[in-house]
Amino acid sequence: MSSMEPHPIQVVVEDDLERSRLTVFFRLLLAIPHFVWYFLWSIGTFFAAIAAWVVALITGRVSGGLHSFLSAYVRYTTHLFAYLCLAANPYPGFTGQPGSYPIDVNIPPPERQNRWKVGFRIFLALPALLLAAVLAGTPGFGGGGGAGGRGDEPGWTGWTGGGLIFIVAFFAWFVCLVRGRMPNGFRDLQAYALRYNAQAQGYVLLLTERYPNSDPSAPPAALPPERPAVQIQVNDDLRRSRITVFFRILLFLPHLVWLVLWTIAAFVAVIVGWFAALATGRLPDALHRFIAAYVRYSTHIFAYLFLTANPFPGFTGAAGSYPIDLEIDPPGPQNRWKTLLRVFLAIPAFFVSGALNSALFLVGLFGWFVSLATGSMPAGLRNLGAYAQRYAGQTNAYFLLLTDRYPYGGPWEWAPTPEAEAEPEVAAA
Amino acid sequence: MGSDPRGRSRAGGRSRIAKRVALALLLALLAAVWAIAAYLLWRTTVPSGLDVPAVDPKSIFSTEDLQRAIHYDRFVRWDFLATQVVLIAGLAVYAAYGARFVRESAAGRIGTGMLLAMLGLGLLWVVQLPFGLAELWWQRRYDVSHTPYGEWVIDNWLALGSEFLFISFAILIVMGLAGPLRDWWWIPGGFVFVGLALLLTFLFPYLLPGQRPLRDQALVAQAKAYERQLGVGDIPVRVQDVGTETTMPNAEAVGLGPTRRVILWETIVRPPFTFDEQRVVVAHELGHHARKHLWKGIAWYALFAFPGAFIIARVTRRRGGMREPEAVPLSLLVLTVLSFLSLPVENVITRHIESEADWVALELTKDPASAEGAFKNFTVSALADPDPPLWDYVLIENHPTVVQRIGMAEAWRPRHNAGG
Repeated sequence: MSSMEPHPIQVVVEDDLERSRLTVFFRLLLAIPHFVWYFLWSIGTFFAAIAAWVVALITGRVSGGLHSFLSAYVRYTTHLFAYLCLAANPYPGFTGQPGSYPIDVNIPPPERQNRWKVGFRIFLALPALLLAAVLAGTPGFGGGGGAGGRGDEPGWTGWTGGGLIFIVAFFAWFVCLVRGRMPNGFRDLQAYALRYNAQAQGYVLLLTERYPNSDPSAPPAALPPERPAVQIQVNDDLRRSRITVFFRILLFLPHLVWLVLWTIAAFVAVIVGWFAALATGRLPDALHRFIAAYVRYSTHIFAYLFLTANPFPGFTGAAGSYPIDLEIDPPGPQNRWKTLLRVFLAIPAFFVSGALNSALFLVGLFGWFVSLATGSMPAGLRNLGAYAQRYAGQTNAYFLLLTDRYPYGGPWEWAPTPEAEAEPEVAAA
Repeated sequence: MGSDPRGRSRAGGRSRIAKRVALALLLALLAAVWAIAAYLLWRTTVPSGLDVPAVDPKSIFSTEDLQRAIHYDRFVRWDFLATQVVLIAGLAVYAAYGARFVRESAAGRIGTGMLLAMLGLGLLWVVQLPFGLAELWWQRRYDVSHTPYGEWVIDNWLALGSEFLFISFAILIVMGLAGPLRDWWWIPGGFVFVGLALLLTFLFPYLLPGQRPLRDQALVAQAKAYERQLGVGDIPVRVQDVGTETTMPNAEAVGLGPTRRVILWETIVRPPFTFDEQRVVVAHELGHHARKHLWKGIAWYALFAFPGAFIIARVTRRRGGMREPEAVPLSLLVLTVLSFLSLPVENVITRHIESEADWVALELTKDPASAEGAFKNFTVSALADPDPPLWDYVLIENHPTVVQRIGMAEAWRPRHNAGG
């Protein structure tokens, strides 16, 4: 559920998760004609965007022809990226026709826009483009992101990690080849990233003056197919103390020291727990409590560091003691094979979590400036941070043997707090 | 009910008087122990009847050097004073209003105390920043430092991080003890802090960055000879690279037992300091080790730590004592005021200790001319006012003034000659 008016640019998902193994296997090669077309269209879009900018500055709106051309480009990019990263199955068309693809974009007709916002659009869009780069591996417009499309530029690719959706696509490729089906969580994660990317493109290309909404719990998010063993509780009111925000990194230091010490103890506990779980088929209660507290504690302190929560966290990782908290299921039986191979099985989840943590870093960075200026955190950024932390918490819980249920990658709806509901998103986030 | 209220009242009164007398006796005993300990620590090898002649700085320094040092030092001392005033004023405001930051914590009693302590230091950092930058500007103007402003701010920011860690640890100890012991935390707390001071002094040599062995083999050999004369065992002499941080000369004796070292800033092992002047500096620092000044420093710290902790415990009772996080801002104020008030006493002690090290150096090197040369260089290179005003001397100077040090070298000559 979104905490604000729906964004005018929406992604619609009508995908059935079925994948053709043959086209999955050759997907990158099959997309070669699209790469050529995408490159040419990006050049055309560059000039069209300049023309649209001049027109919008003079008349206060983008003319119908330019709007259609740029809208088609945004849709086409979304179709292409969805195909490349396995978020959809059919081969996309070359025209960006609305309603022609299972992952599609709804774009509103031309609207009147504030000329000041038009004039400074490229600067206003920079934070959104950075976040889009982290999520979708492209700076939004004319990026040529693609699968490895920027692999020859180590600095850029190194920073964005190739985009979250392409990291997910790498692992999804193997899954789709084996099962012929895309995991629900991975597809939803990619739909979210594509939505944000489309909104960022739409903002830069003057299709709307609404700032992109980073809230992962907004549509097309849906409930997960089964209840995850680790869930996040968000009871944060979005208020931020400017002074603690200003010193946040330094205030984190005592927790960092404590985390290092606790990590050493947790490491020993997990080794013991691994043998116990292999022998008995479940993690002993005492070890479960200890490790769960450790996982919760790390969630609390990173929520504090990256500004997804406000108060200084405690040092015990007590359940229910922090506005961003993990609800971890009690110990239950675990599959011994999964326990035996846990280190290897967790590797994909760690990669995805790492990519989400890049987004979390940006949440902290942008949130720092916004919170310092306004004394509150934008709901969308906070929710994105909470999403990244939920996935990290699930990954840690899985790796540290608290559960044998694999982390669920997709964003899902959660009931926002009344305060969050009332809080408007800060446009400059 | 055969009770007699008057009798109970009289008995209660006698009991109170007895308690007060016992407390007074205890305090008197503690004061006597304190005084005896202070007397023992105060003892020195500097002859008691030493007749230190008055030295006129104008007869030693050129007018230009003297004016430059006085002008430089004047700004530094006023900057220091302004910083102290702002520091205490800032902490007074924080003591009054800081408790409201309790609502920014979900960390329980001790964690909240840590937060309040860190925020207090953070606010002070902000308040002090302009004064620090002003001093850096002044140092750069006088070529004493070449540190860029941005680098200085970042370094200070990182240093604030280590202060946050330290204060968190200190609060953990104090509030951890104050939980079960309430107002009596200061007794074990005093021991713990003295223990930490001991540990920190022991480890300090390993925390100094940019150290390298002394390359001047003649100076190394001289240091070894002094070590033998003093019977202090092997004490490595190291050179510390201070980079662009400062051009001021300095040296220090650090460590305890096996970690003892003499640290010479690289500004000492180059001109204008001559070999003989460097010898004096090394002898001075070895003198600190020989006279166990670091141990004495810890003992002095202990003598002040216990009463200081006691005063903090008493004053913070109005905020519920140190077991309550609301008392932390007030405790910071009390600690800072106590530190400020104890500055004159502290400086008297350190000047006393430094004088003894100077005397040891003179006895070792038997070279008062080189000692005078080294002290002169402190005025010329470090821009130390050779004869500062009284309030500066009382509040700031933790070494004897340059004229006092030169005076001691002058006083050494006739004694040595007389002694043959």
